[in-house]
Amino acid sequence: MENIKITPFQLFVLIVLFQLGSAIVVAPGVEAKQDAWMSIMLGLIGGLFVFIIYYHLYKQFPELSLIEYLPKILGKHLGWFVGFLYSLYFLYIATRVLRDFGDLLVTAIFPQTPLFIINLLMTLSIAYVIYLGIEVLARTGEFYFLLLMFIGVIVNTLFFISGEVETDNLLPILGEGWTPVIKGAVPTLLTFPFGEIIVFTMVFPYLHNQKYTLKVGLIGLVFSGVLIAFATMMNIAVLGIDIVERSSYPLLSAISKIRVGDFLERLDALAVISLIVGMFFKIAIFFFAGVYGATTLFKVNQYQKLIMPMSIIVLVSSISIAENFSEHIEIGLKIVPNYLHLPFQFYIPTALLMITLIKKKFTIKSHS
Amino acid sequence: MKTTQFKRAIPLKSLIKRKKGADVDTFSESKDESGAQQKSSIEAHVEKMNNTMGGTSDLIEREIIINTKPLIKGVAFFINGLVDNEQVSDFMLKSLLNDSFDLEEAKEFSNTTLEHLIEKQLLTVSEVKMETDWDKIIHHLLSGNTILFVDGINQAFIGSTEGGEWRSVEEPKAEVAIRGAKDAFIESVFTNMALIRRRIKSPKMQFEMFQLGNSSQTDVAIIYMNGITNAKLVQEVRRRINKIDVEHLLNSATIEEFIQDKTLTIFPTVYNTERPDTAANSLTEGKIVIIVDGSPFVLIVPVTFSQFFKSAEDYYQRYDISTLIRILRYISFTIAVLGPSLYIALITFHQDLIPTRLVISLAAQREGIPFPAFIEALIMETTFEILREAGVRMPRAIGQAVSIVGALVIGQAAVQAGIVSAAMVIVVAGTAIASFTTPAYNLAIAGRILRFAMMILAATMGLYGITIGLIALVAHLASLRSFGAPYLAPFAPFIPENHKDGLFRLPKKIFNK
Repeated sequence: MENIKITPFQLFVLIVLFQLGSAIVVAPGVEAKQDAWMSIMLGLIGGLFVFIIYYHLYKQFPELSLIEYLPKILGKHLGWFVGFLYSLYFLYIATRVLRDFGDLLVTAIFPQTPLFIINLLMTLSIAYVIYLGIEVLARTGEFYFLLLMFIGVIVNTLFFISGEVETDNLLPILGEGWTPVIKGAVPTLLTFPFGEIIVFTMVFPYLHNQKYTLKVGLIGLVFSGVLIAFATMMNIAVLGIDIVERSSYPLLSAISKIRVGDFLERLDALAVISLIVGMFFKIAIFFFAGVYGATTLFKVNQYQKLIMPMSIIVLVSSISIAENFSEHIEIGLKIVPNYLHLPFQFYIPTALLMITLIKKKFTIKSHS
Repeated sequence: MKTTQFKRAIPLKSLIKRKKGADVDTFSESKDESGAQQKSSIEAHVEKMNNTMGGTSDLIEREIIINTKPLIKGVAFFINGLVDNEQVSDFMLKSLLNDSFDLEEAKEFSNTTLEHLIEKQLLTVSEVKMETDWDKIIHHLLSGNTILFVDGINQAFIGSTEGGEWRSVEEPKAEVAIRGAKDAFIESVFTNMALIRRRIKSPKMQFEMFQLGNSSQTDVAIIYMNGITNAKLVQEVRRRINKIDVEHLLNSATIEEFIQDKTLTIFPTVYNTERPDTAANSLTEGKIVIIVDGSPFVLIVPVTFSQFFKSAEDYYQRYDISTLIRILRYISFTIAVLGPSLYIALITFHQDLIPTRLVISLAAQREGIPFPAFIEALIMETTFEILREAGVRMPRAIGQAVSIVGALVIGQAAVQAGIVSAAMVIVVAGTAIASFTTPAYNLAIAGRILRFAMMILAATMGLYGITIGLIALVAHLASLRSFGAPYLAPFAPFIPENHKDGLFRLPKKIFNK
């Protein structure tokens, strides 16, 4: 491992940016109608539990990443294979988020620009930053975290100043009971965005001060969960649940309603900038995990060597992954959560934890 | 060069015996003891000196007869113009020529050798060194010292007579402060060292001298505070300076290029200043100052990005005013980098983001302009850069003409002729003014280059291009290090206590805690 270290605050920042990345623009949990925010909080609680699972796994093997300790739990060959699947999974999700992002930009602001060009620019910048290293990514994150928080405060203040916030839109609370709330939370919200934190098992070994990992991770999750819930609440309060349900990007629609005086209007640019930044970090972290995993699996001496080929793969497949936007969304809603997220985020880690705990028990017994 | 291999060495003993007989036996004996096998004569030294210097006409050779009993021949060498003439005549030559001195008496007073007598009694110049290494002798000669050879002594006496013409200490020209000190560094390394020493009268402050440049033999001083500056940092600076291998070292910029961490960047990772107060302040913060002879700009390492937005003035004005002005500088730098590109992006891609009334007025202005916004901006920016460069390099007398041409022809006439829109002139002018607020010239240049890069990104991908460009830019800045110190600190990594003097300038009471 290189002598690269991330401070606890940087981990916090990365987690928040990663979580907010795409979740804040799309409307997660709208199945629960105006109670979407409760769904999000429920999803968050689930997310905290899975994070604790990842943390305990990691505690067995501090200074090792997920793909590095898999062979130690599952044996050399099976472990390698599962690690390979994980590496593919990370890269696939990076590809999907890149596609999400490209489609969004095409729909929202660049209707005439080819998707390829938009994704190319994003991929290039990600490749550059990952080439500079995870430490640089973390520092860049710190800078943009402050910027995004600043934008967030301004936008929310303007929401209130412009008088667009209708709290009535949030009523009635639990009008249809708990069922839609729980349905919205499980499994969709649990897996996206909270369960995706599995990718941080690839980043943990870089932490400067290991004892803060759990605390910082939980705080980061809660912080981002609350922010997402709050943003969803604001969207619903501004737009009303009907529009939020129909719109692909409710945050953009909500912000474009801001109008203060005669001059402060059309602030979508701010939302788009936050979106680009958030997406950048989300893709970059997935991409880093995938590249770093592959580096471990194939025993490449420098992960930088894999950046070029990997980014070409991610770029090309982000275009070819689906014929059109609807197909992409369809796959994203129907197939990915059940057949990819759930196994990789819950079943495998839980199984791994159980195996290690049982193994540990046996070794302790055999010692005593 | 080999030292002290004189072919026609004639023993002192024989020379002196011809004059005074047994009187000087003690000296010659002690001479033998001091180990020089080859006795020297003055002619050998003179010949060797002339061989080395190649008979250059600014080398002055002054033959003297030292007024002792017995008389001894000597010859002094110095370089015309490098020495302080008064020092040479008063303290080197006068004392040797006029003061009568009895060697016999001195011998009785203390049992000592001839060279010690000359060094301790005869030369009244403030600093005298004895040297046998020929290279060093030549170096001292070329640094403005006077070299004295005395018949029968195998060593050279080096009197420190450095002087000659230097620019006097004047007001700083590049970094003006309204309330700050009014002295600036000059080209002499020793004067500069004194300017700093006068501000920090602490024995902790250490100077280390290096001679760099194989043929220029330039004096380079590094200054640090023992106990405040990180010892590893000093070690690293020393290592990097020792690695420098050049023929001529004429300016601190050369050193800067050799010691900086990363060559492939447009951002300066070494700070330079002409203000002694800024240098002294940096020393107290644990930084290292590097002075190069011949350059009125000293280098300071390590440096962070925020340092380039600080001005000495910040510490002389009230903290609240300083903080606001500092924030203003950051905003100005952002405008300087992003101004034209934001305009291009809005006009080309995101007309819907401009308030309706403004967009109508802009559209009316752009009616009849034959170029797209990007080309228009490029024309104006390039013209402005040319004007600026012309203004900097031109003799002052013609400078006026440049501003007239700039203001009238480029500004008004271009708009009236329908080549560029008035809004574009405003944007370019605003950007230009904003770019002048950056206190550090080398960072302002980086900003200028970035401005063009951002314009290209804006013209191709609009706001998206700018945002991606900014992410890559911040990542690049975050990856830079200056002697191990992260460049973007205290922002990234976030170091709360350093924010006392980062974006803000908090009151000194809080500061010193």
